[in-house]
Amino acid sequence: MTRRRAALAALAAVVAVLAAYPAFASGYGVRATLQVFMWIVLASSWNLISGLTGYVSFGHVAFFGAGAYAGAILVAKAGWPWLPAALAGGVAAVLLALVIGYPCLRLRGPYFAIAMLGLNEVLRALVSYFEGLTGGGNGLSLPTLDATIPIYYAMGASAAMVTLVTHAIITSRFGLRLMTIREDEVAAEAMGIDTGRHKLYAFLLSAAGPGIAGALTARDQGYIEPISVFPLATTITMIVMVLFGGKGTVWGPVLGAVVLFVAQEVVWTRYPYVHPLLFGAIIVAVVLLMPRGVLGILQIRYRLPRTI
Amino acid sequence: MNVHITPTMLGQVVISGILSGALYAMVALGLALIFGVMRIINVAHGPLLMLGAYTTYFLYSALGINPYLTVPVSMLVLFVVGVLLERTLVFRVVDAPELSSLLLTFGISIALVNLAQLLFTSDLRAVEYLTGSWVVGPFALSKSRLVAFVFAGALTGLAFLFLGWTKLGKAIRATSQSREVAMVCGINVQRIHLITFGLAAALAAAGGALIAVIVAIQPEMGQIWTFKSFLVIVLGGAGNYPGALLGGVLLGLIEQVASLFLTTQLSEVVAYVLLVVILLVQPTGLLGGRQT
Amino acid sequence: MTTKALGALITAMGVLAGGLSAQAQGPVRIGASLSLTGTYAKLGKNQHEGYKLCEKDLNAKGGLLGRKVQLVVYDDQSTPATAVRLYEKLITEDGVDGVMGPYSSPVTEASVNVTEKYKKVMVAPLAATTSIFKRPPDKKRHYVFMVISPAEAYLEGLIDMAAKRGFKTVAVVNEDTLFSKAAAAGAAEIAKKKGMHVVYAEAYPKGNTDFSALLTKVKSLNPDVIAAATYFDDAVALTRQMRELDVNPRMYGVTVGGDLPEFYDTLKTNAEYVYGATQWEHVLPYPGNTEFFEAYAKEFGHEPSYHSAAGYAGCLIYAEAVKRAGSLDADRVREQLLKLEMRTVFGDYKVDGDGFQVAHRMVTFQWQEGRKLVVWPDEVVQAKPRIPTPPWNQR
Repeated sequence: MTRRRAALAALAAVVAVLAAYPAFASGYGVRATLQVFMWIVLASSWNLISGLTGYVSFGHVAFFGAGAYAGAILVAKAGWPWLPAALAGGVAAVLLALVIGYPCLRLRGPYFAIAMLGLNEVLRALVSYFEGLTGGGNGLSLPTLDATIPIYYAMGASAAMVTLVTHAIITSRFGLRLMTIREDEVAAEAMGIDTGRHKLYAFLLSAAGPGIAGALTARDQGYIEPISVFPLATTITMIVMVLFGGKGTVWGPVLGAVVLFVAQEVVWTRYPYVHPLLFGAIIVAVVLLMPRGVLGILQIRYRLPRTI
Repeated sequence: MNVHITPTMLGQVVISGILSGALYAMVALGLALIFGVMRIINVAHGPLLMLGAYTTYFLYSALGINPYLTVPVSMLVLFVVGVLLERTLVFRVVDAPELSSLLLTFGISIALVNLAQLLFTSDLRAVEYLTGSWVVGPFALSKSRLVAFVFAGALTGLAFLFLGWTKLGKAIRATSQSREVAMVCGINVQRIHLITFGLAAALAAAGGALIAVIVAIQPEMGQIWTFKSFLVIVLGGAGNYPGALLGGVLLGLIEQVASLFLTTQLSEVVAYVLLVVILLVQPTGLLGGRQT
Repeated sequence: MTTKALGALITAMGVLAGGLSAQAQGPVRIGASLSLTGTYAKLGKNQHEGYKLCEKDLNAKGGLLGRKVQLVVYDDQSTPATAVRLYEKLITEDGVDGVMGPYSSPVTEASVNVTEKYKKVMVAPLAATTSIFKRPPDKKRHYVFMVISPAEAYLEGLIDMAAKRGFKTVAVVNEDTLFSKAAAAGAAEIAKKKGMHVVYAEAYPKGNTDFSALLTKVKSLNPDVIAAATYFDDAVALTRQMRELDVNPRMYGVTVGGDLPEFYDTLKTNAEYVYGATQWEHVLPYPGNTEFFEAYAKEFGHEPSYHSAAGYAGCLIYAEAVKRAGSLDADRVREQLLKLEMRTVFGDYKVDGDGFQVAHRMVTFQWQEGRKLVVWPDEVVQAKPRIPTPPWNQR
């Protein structure tokens, strides 16, 4: 129990430092931390569907993009303040997940992955086409607004929220059922688990975070365009973060997001021409050398609880 | 802004669609082979095609070899590259969950593209060999695309002959139907995987070599071909080899006809919407593929 | 409230520290985020080399304000989100004294939000989209300055020559991205103004290489002029397929890409008669242009493109304004940049009250026997345009 208490105390200290951080950090420090929060939201959300159920969402950035456009359109065309627009971005992403999740989650294995990839492309092309609303290839430019610090708190709260939800799920019967689906879907059905409904709930939960993060990012950046909010590379990055930290765990995605983002900022900006090559090598290394991720390895070696 | 579409115009785009469709089919056949035999979706398929295109480009520009004669050379070079990749990296994820193979091949793909950028620069290159077209009645047949069509048709035919009539080809098909049974029959499955991956890379390379004569090439050209190949094998049925043929021609036709009646931009949407719809209605593709 | 007060205090300390380091006479550090990898890698690299040559030339002439000049460059991978973060890093972490613009309109559009926030002057030499500078009164930007002509002007020469020749119909096609869309819209606008009829307009997605259906439609309308707002790959593919499908406009022009030597290397004689627009040519009679061309070729082993020249000139323009202001202070440099009228290797610089470029002129060239010859505007022509373009089967 003391170990648990110490962990909670450490967590509270981290939260306190992060909450106070904007008061003494440089503008870049705030923005970089904001990005870490964003990656935590994305990676943890992907973990909710793919880490727990084993359904590989290879187009998860679609929810980020949908949220970004929903939020940005409400700000630019309807004059909404950024906070309700961000929540609306989350709602839009969940609605999208509802529409596509119901049919697509019936697909198994690689077919689901390809369908998600295709959906992301459909979404990108549609956003380009309906240019009256979205600006098409011109992108959407939002009124200038210096709200990086409030958005920092909003993104931080989203990251905390997604992590809490992940913890709640992993320690619940719902989470156990999701993992049963991952291990053997047929057996799960035989045990009387309504797999369709469980997968859909996990899918909806996994869409909310990216939707909110997309809308917040759009507001903070002040400008979005189809090519830069629907890239396959973003999906891949969130997957690699989860894999690095440990999929199906609470803190793995958080760890992966922090470590990989910091590595990118510190190391990669120094080697402008070779960093994409390094990224490719890191992906290969993570897949081959540590498929269970850092936490997965620690769990086995130190007998840490499954719910870490 | 309204264009009156005449039957001649429709005929012209149908021809274009079939010409590019054969190329799609050949390239996607490689992806279908890997998927059928190894159950891996090779995201690095497009970058392998890109390497094939560069092989042809360098042979043509440095040694002045007729680009069509370089097709077998490109295929051979990429066969070796494919074998090396399989032997060192890919074989490790054959039985792993699909996430591992998707990510591993994506990592290889990024590495290949960026290596190409470092070695060859991002400059656009082109093999300016056969330009212009032959005019048949009201239709224009692009010379380079027509020759590519013939090559793709012939190579795809050869691939099917190989799969259907040679001992090795039969072993490949047996492995893709059931690895366990193949093993029991004394087939060296590891070797089959190796050859399949090499063969798939060679088919991609042939595609790259032919494409280099049609459009200008650059290191990032591959991704679009990976995506197109996904579309083709889903349309035709993943792991179903004749299905790749049907899927290829179908994709070529869909793209062109949709571009004619709608816009080039919407033709992309049509292709992907069709992908999703087919996956939902008939997840095994039009000709039926294998369930996983 | 206390947070704000604390923030203000820290900012004040930062300013103080900045003042102190200036007295320490370190180099003047100028930061930029550039597209060294990703989609715009090739063009971003040319811009980077332009900046590097400017750095070298400034230092050879004693630097800036008596201090050496030092570039600090990061790679934004051609993505706006990364560029935004990198400018924030340059300004708040690295404490650079000034910034220069990134490559491409979308990246500039996003980055300017940061530089405006910190009141940094940004001379953006490779942003050609009007909307970055001309904004509604409540969204105005104050510290960003344009160097090149706007995207809308790219096809002006082509349309102008066509109208003078009495051609009536034009088809406009474009890649669906910020810059190309603006160029296409500008072409359509100018055509209408000059009494021509836009018979067809279509956008195609980035990365498209098969134009069969699009060209089949264009061919059926048989327009006098085809104006294509392209980026590069598409310019090559479009030209080749026009020949294959025997599409024969009397004039055919592209925007970006047509000016690069690779365009002709790639297309060989198929590039003949094609019009292109460029911001700059090394043969144009601007002061120091030949010397710049030679120095650049010697330094980097290849010829400069207009991206190189714009980067080089943009950096010189910023340096000139700093010299005249006698300070790196943003408001004083801004005042000078608004007043400045300057002729560089890149041509004329003069902006209106929004920082929008009004003096620089585009030139239109035509590929004639393997040479890129300026055919418009009249003041700088090297050759007469060969109008009309003969049909493919008569070449």
